[in-house]
Amino acid sequence: MSTRPEIHFFIGKGGVGKSTTSALTALFLAAAGKNTLLVSMDPAHNQRDLFETDFSEKPKQVVQHLAVKEIDTAHWTAKCLKETRENIRKTYLYESAFNLQDHFKVLQFSPGLEEYALLTAFEDVLGRASDKDAVIFDMAPTALTLRFFSLPNVTLVWLNQLLTLRRQICQKKEIISKIRIGTCEMERDRIKEKLQSLIGRHTCLRDRFLSEDSRMHLVMNVDRLSFSEAVRIKQRLADIRIGIDRVVVNKTQPGKPLEDLPETLDSHRLAVFPLASGTLVGLQAMQEYLQAQQESFADLLTRPLSTGQGS
Amino acid sequence: MIRTLKNRLVRLWRTADEVAREKAVETVSHEVTELENIFALLVLGMFVGIPSPPIQITLDLMPDMEREFDLMCSKVTTAHDPLGELFSVLDID
Repeated sequence: MSTRPEIHFFIGKGGVGKSTTSALTALFLAAAGKNTLLVSMDPAHNQRDLFETDFSEKPKQVVQHLAVKEIDTAHWTAKCLKETRENIRKTYLYESAFNLQDHFKVLQFSPGLEEYALLTAFEDVLGRASDKDAVIFDMAPTALTLRFFSLPNVTLVWLNQLLTLRRQICQKKEIISKIRIGTCEMERDRIKEKLQSLIGRHTCLRDRFLSEDSRMHLVMNVDRLSFSEAVRIKQRLADIRIGIDRVVVNKTQPGKPLEDLPETLDSHRLAVFPLASGTLVGLQAMQEYLQAQQESFADLLTRPLSTGQGS
Repeated sequence: MIRTLKNRLVRLWRTADEVAREKAVETVSHEVTELENIFALLVLGMFVGIPSPPIQITLDLMPDMEREFDLMCSKVTTAHDPLGELFSVLDID
């Protein structure tokens, strides 16, 4: 049994069919006997409409080998704030902790907390997925998704800067100790240790996004707005060294040629899925579509031969 | 006579050493305090209206930064005369 499942991210503009494509891919993998977990990271949570059943933080089995769960960002935000508040109560004097409560209430409205909640949930999902062969993430629309993928990098820039400053402080304290008592007697600096542990944590997360196990599928439709946004997503991800494995051109129709595709979206990475004749809602409808598109899904999950990550 | 002189010289040397050490410590301590202020402002600046790092860094470090938090809050009230404080440490009148 695999201890490190393969990860598939489905990203793209709102409404292009990320949820449907990720659900179909999850069903395809499950049908192939792979123990699969489909995770809805999109606050809109379309998976419950597609599978016509409610989901929650607790994975729910929908067919053999496939479970689905929804990430509740409010739950993860509250959990994170609660942990900090409890730690403050443990370490601060009563008076300081009491005075801080008013400031603390404001923190839940801080920008950036939503993507951090997603990142914490992502970490938790992977921590519990050692029995899975594949984990599929149906991502939120572009803006939130890009902030999510950038977060470990941005955080590491800050953490490294803070660690440098903290080291300077510790070195100067050592000098003071040496001058005063002739020896270098220093208590361990908890903040420096915390910074080092946070750097380790965010480096792991960043490396997970960049690893060979993680595959990025950029979903788009055959229209100019969708093309433009797909190109921008690709560039933004390239800035943080994340490459696109497959460009999924979804809902294609006869008479709408793909020649207009931007050159930056390499043609050998394309996976094309035609528009379904009916509505793709419900397990039966999805399985029928999947039956007709077996080859396309098999192709989607095969890495393009000529390239690797980051190109 | 020589012993008395020697003792006096030793005492003088010790006093001078102590004064020099104290002076050196005072200056480095001030540098440390200033660096700690900067560190506190970087991590907890959002509480006094300064752009902060990604919020999770503040949340993760805050439980271990009670002293820095107090320091920063007190700094907000003395921030009108930072040069005066610096000159007093460096003995500049």
